[in-house]
Amino acid sequence: MSVVKEFTKGLWQELPPFRLVLGLCPTLAVTTMAKNGLGMGLATTFVLINSNVIVSVLRKIIPGKVRIASYIVVIASFVVMAELLLQAYWYPMYEELGIFVPLIVVNCIILGRAEAFASKNPIVHSLADGLGIGLGFTISLTILGGIREILGTGEFFSMAVMWPSYEPFSFMVKAPGAFVCLGFLLGLMNIISRRRPAH
Amino acid sequence: MRDLIKMVVVLAVICTTSGVVLSYVNTATEAPREYQYIKFVQEPSMKAVLSDYDNDPIKERIKLVVGENEEGNPIETVVFPAKKGGKTHAVAYSATAKGYHDLIEVMVGVDPDGTLTGISIMTHTETPGLGARIEEPEFTDQFQGLDVDTAKLSDEGGQVDALSGATFSTAGVIAAVGSALEQFPQIKKETF
Repeated sequence: MSVVKEFTKGLWQELPPFRLVLGLCPTLAVTTMAKNGLGMGLATTFVLINSNVIVSVLRKIIPGKVRIASYIVVIASFVVMAELLLQAYWYPMYEELGIFVPLIVVNCIILGRAEAFASKNPIVHSLADGLGIGLGFTISLTILGGIREILGTGEFFSMAVMWPSYEPFSFMVKAPGAFVCLGFLLGLMNIISRRRPAH
Repeated sequence: MRDLIKMVVVLAVICTTSGVVLSYVNTATEAPREYQYIKFVQEPSMKAVLSDYDNDPIKERIKLVVGENEEGNPIETVVFPAKKGGKTHAVAYSATAKGYHDLIEVMVGVDPDGTLTGISIMTHTETPGLGARIEEPEFTDQFQGLDVDTAKLSDEGGQVDALSGATFSTAGVIAAVGSALEQFPQIKKETF
């Protein structure tokens, strides 16, 4: 497959939370605001790209029996790095995301891409794969966070977008709202993909 | 056997590399991390307790060792001096004490006589609606003008009224302020 195709598949065909239904913990937990979804997505993308590249570089060196342990060490290192960088340069986002930054290490999208893709493919392809999946994840989280923020607080990226008399539907920014919103989005995705012929 | 050795070596090399890289990143981000912490956590509180200064207390902050913890490691406190015309007229620093849930971190402003110019709650995890009211000015303003003898509960000979329904949170704040004021004589020697 071409590098371009590896990149674009993450944006629709294998869109992580909506098509593969993977990585739901951060998807549900941090998307109370579009900004948080974006921050989480970017942090995950950073880890995903780097771990994909490193795993791909080391794919012929790592013995099969210890591959998962090696991948986890690589992923965990980048997660700690992401945490330190957030703390150093984007402290408010670090406070908002809290425990979910260290939890990126157990995000199954990242280990999944390392195991299913980067360990079998060349570096450039793995980079494109990480970038595509990461970007897809970021966009998904931002959309989900955006919908919840608009309905739940009447704001989008902290700017008022609804009419002044709009009564915020605060259920949407709480945990059940995340499930309901995700359910509707998954349904919508299924309707759209049914109309488009499968590849 | 060769497989086994290879596994051990590969894992060891990966872990070592990871350790080295992370320690490098940790060192490299130390200064900006400290700066962000000061900017987003300490600065708002510091501005709340200090007034009437023409210097930049953040830039002129001083690190002081104010005792030892249980393991014998030195406890450091960052002191922010408020100066006017080059003369320090108050300092701000923080202290912590146990509240109802977890530690409460309080920033205090103290003038040279050891009188509080104000306090501000920096971090806490108290119950919203009950203990979390320690953040409100109605509570924190009580501390203005008190000193080490009067910054106690009114029941215990001080001048602080406890928040009803938040005894432990109030006690936590008072304990933090008390421990801050206990450090003051030492801090005074180094700053004024």
